[in-house]
Amino acid sequence: MVNVFAVPIFFICFRECLETSIIVSVLLAFLKQTLGPEQDKTTYKRLVKQVWWGTALGLIICLCIGAGMIGAFYGFGKDHFANTEDIWEGTFGIIASLIISAMGAALLRVSKLQDKWRVKLAKALESKEVKKAGSGHRIKRWAALKRWAEKYAMFMLPFVTVLREGLEAIVFIGGVGLGLPATAFPIPVITGLMAGAAVGYLIYKGGNFASIQVFLIVSTCFLYLVAAGLFSKAIWYFQNNNWNKIVGGDAAEVGNGPGSYDIRQSVWHVNCCGPEINGGGGWGVFNALFGWQNSATYGSVISYNIYWIVIIVCFLAMRYNEKKGHWPFLKPKKNLDVEECDDAASGSRAETVEVDVEKKDHAADRATSTNVRTIEG
Amino acid sequence: MALSLSNFLFAAALLPSLGGLARAATRNYDFNITWVTANPDGAKERPTIGINNQWPIPPITADVGDRVLVNVNNQLGNQSTSLHFHGLYMNGTTEMDGVVGVTQCSIAPGQSFLYNFTVDQPGTYWYHSHERGQYPDGLRGPLIVNDPKSPFKDDYDEEVVLTFSDWYHDQMPPLLKWFISYANPTGAEPVPDAALVNDTQNLTVSVEPGKTYFFRMINIGAFAGQYIWFEGHTMKVIEVDGIYTEPYETDMIYMGAAQRYGVLISMKNSTDANFPFVMSMDETLFDTVPDTLNPNATGWLVYDSKKDMPQAALLDDFAPLDDSLLVPHDHEKIFDHVDYSFNLDLTMDNLGDGANYAFFNGITYVPPKVPTLYSVLTTGPNATNPAIYGRNSHAFVLEKGQVVEIVLNNDDTGKHPFHLHGHAFQVAYRSTENVGNYNGSVPLIQTPMRRDTLVIIWLFHCHIEWHVASGLIATMIEAPLDIQKTISIPPEHYDTCKAKNIPTAGNAAGNTKNFLDLSGENISVKPLPAGFTARGIVALVFSCISAFLGLAAITWYGFGDLGKNELAAAQRRIREGGISLQDDNH
Repeated sequence: MVNVFAVPIFFICFRECLETSIIVSVLLAFLKQTLGPEQDKTTYKRLVKQVWWGTALGLIICLCIGAGMIGAFYGFGKDHFANTEDIWEGTFGIIASLIISAMGAALLRVSKLQDKWRVKLAKALESKEVKKAGSGHRIKRWAALKRWAEKYAMFMLPFVTVLREGLEAIVFIGGVGLGLPATAFPIPVITGLMAGAAVGYLIYKGGNFASIQVFLIVSTCFLYLVAAGLFSKAIWYFQNNNWNKIVGGDAAEVGNGPGSYDIRQSVWHVNCCGPEINGGGGWGVFNALFGWQNSATYGSVISYNIYWIVIIVCFLAMRYNEKKGHWPFLKPKKNLDVEECDDAASGSRAETVEVDVEKKDHAADRATSTNVRTIEG
Repeated sequence: MALSLSNFLFAAALLPSLGGLARAATRNYDFNITWVTANPDGAKERPTIGINNQWPIPPITADVGDRVLVNVNNQLGNQSTSLHFHGLYMNGTTEMDGVVGVTQCSIAPGQSFLYNFTVDQPGTYWYHSHERGQYPDGLRGPLIVNDPKSPFKDDYDEEVVLTFSDWYHDQMPPLLKWFISYANPTGAEPVPDAALVNDTQNLTVSVEPGKTYFFRMINIGAFAGQYIWFEGHTMKVIEVDGIYTEPYETDMIYMGAAQRYGVLISMKNSTDANFPFVMSMDETLFDTVPDTLNPNATGWLVYDSKKDMPQAALLDDFAPLDDSLLVPHDHEKIFDHVDYSFNLDLTMDNLGDGANYAFFNGITYVPPKVPTLYSVLTTGPNATNPAIYGRNSHAFVLEKGQVVEIVLNNDDTGKHPFHLHGHAFQVAYRSTENVGNYNGSVPLIQTPMRRDTLVIIWLFHCHIEWHVASGLIATMIEAPLDIQKTISIPPEHYDTCKAKNIPTAGNAAGNTKNFLDLSGENISVKPLPAGFTARGIVALVFSCISAFLGLAAITWYGFGDLGKNELAAAQRRIREGGISLQDDNH
């Protein structure tokens, strides 16, 4: 059994593929539901292509890095990559978390538009022409960056996700695989990937059955659970990096028990189910989806809760903005008339295009809008 | 390591009563304990604990039957100290055993302490500080008891004392602080920086051809076991840890920390070449072996100082003497019965502060508030109750003359040299590695080797100074009621305690009224919390609540209709993209 089917390898592939396939399938289902092939074929096809390009490119890059890593391992006999593993896990985790958070709100908001506006918006994103880029140099640059992000969001998210998950899988398999015969790899790798992809496919299919609003709410909730886990895990990885430095080696080598974690930072610790050991088996799936840790730290718990508090505040503020026409605690502006949007829009542009949910972005926006008013006033 | 308060467990009846008391002399030693700077391996100068401003420290020598007076004056200024005379039975003078927290209080800076005892056993011993983790900083040296009646006295011409030691470039206090801390959760012992013979390297021992030398070899190291061999010469073992053995020839010996061997080596008849001898530290004990570590120290038997000192050949593997093959010279048979038997199961584990500790039967040693001997003397008939000595003293109360069997199961992966104060023990059986716990069904050796320090791979422990610090200690209290009758403590011993405000009466907690009330006793750190504590549950619940609230906020936002502003913004965005708002869907 062990010679042809290494269970840890199956779980590693399953969990890494699962996270990726959830994101890819949500994006694809979203595109199909909102744009649909019957509504605007070219835009739909272009965006779907973006998703797959992102996935494919991420996969190719991480395969190259993986090959280089394994080559370096056997060449120099040392696992150079492992020393910095926690750093890049943490960094990628934060980036992915921020992108997912921003995208999630944007997707949810777009779903509220009527079909005709949605299709036009998609076309507008595709268009190279930019009118009324705003006044002031800073605003121009900011707007350009935003447009770029909007245009390629469908590429960026799967790209970053696959890259991160792929590298993680390679590191884990590299760690587990050293003691296993080569015959133990192919079947668990293939079945693990297939199982993950199957879940993604079910989500995609499920998206086609449910109403678009329900599907998007449910899938957005799921994306935010993943993002919260990623954020918390990222902090955890940075702390784990510190701990590894203190004990002078990979703390995971001592297993799940005492010594694998910093007692001073520990909020809870159970001597099992650690995601760093052989990918964590079944528990690794919870780690991948929700950021579960067998050894929670103050950093990981507090960052998890703070993430949700920020998300809640942002969504409340966004809803407030939708209803009142201005952000909480900011002076209300003159009401906008949809019919007359040609003139009115420029005044509130900076705020209303806002899709980011992080606090600092709001701060930046506030500064921007103040700037705009000053110029106009 | 086991500490005994009284004496004569196994060996009492076996030591021949020594005649010649008429020749007995008094040996006076005035030891001012002082800091000196030393650099024995030529790699790093460091503060070292010396005696009378000298290091290496002088040997203590005596003849059997001599009275030894060691007047210690602590001039270190920043550390307390004590001296333990390793291997001496201290029969009837337990209070001179020198163990801080058990038989005395530590000698504070500026204080004096007189050790006064009679030596009635021949052999190779050593003395060292028994203050927590102190002796590897230099305060350890040979203690030789010459025996005019030695059965081997006609078999050799000269005597040479060789000490073997590991050596650290850092001082013990910072090393210990790191060793027992959250930062060292695996309990990895600090790896020595060098190996020393007679506290130096490249030692030369001048020898004359054709003569036979008695080498008294002592491992005075903190941690490392040592392989020792003399190229081109065979060792004939005649003494281990102060017990004469039937001569046994070997090419290599292995000495755990604190062990001693007495060997006879006959020199070659020619002066054609000099021969290296090597000590090689047992690297399997080390958690990591730094590339820079040279585990070997070489010395030379110098027949002709004008000739080369040849490099020692490197060995691929070590084949030392199996010391259980040795037979005591007196052929003492295995005890025909056992009065009291108990197990000591050795484990290593982490406690609540994240540091790694060592345990016997789940108890890690913490010195009691009142030195155990003083508790014995002040608790009357309660002294026979092990409970009064405190939970973490791990006390066993034994009766006088009892034959005690200690079964030591080593559940740790390392080797541990166990040492019992006040006694030598018969080593009746030692298993090979990884064979499981002792089950009583194996054949015992009928004339077992006796020694006071024993390396046990499976059954037994500990003179690794790191493990002493991490609590691998149990206390043996033998015939406490007899101790009360026979022992009187010199008043200056109590002065030592007064200087440090340490109580000298009552149970382990210093309670002189109710000996069974141990509130306030010194106890070990709490165990690691298992799984979810209240803190963890609160954190998990809060995390779940915030996640659900977050999902609720997302859902609520998702079901809300699109405001005018949003639509306007989308429209504006569409216009900016150059798409007409008007001609849609037509």
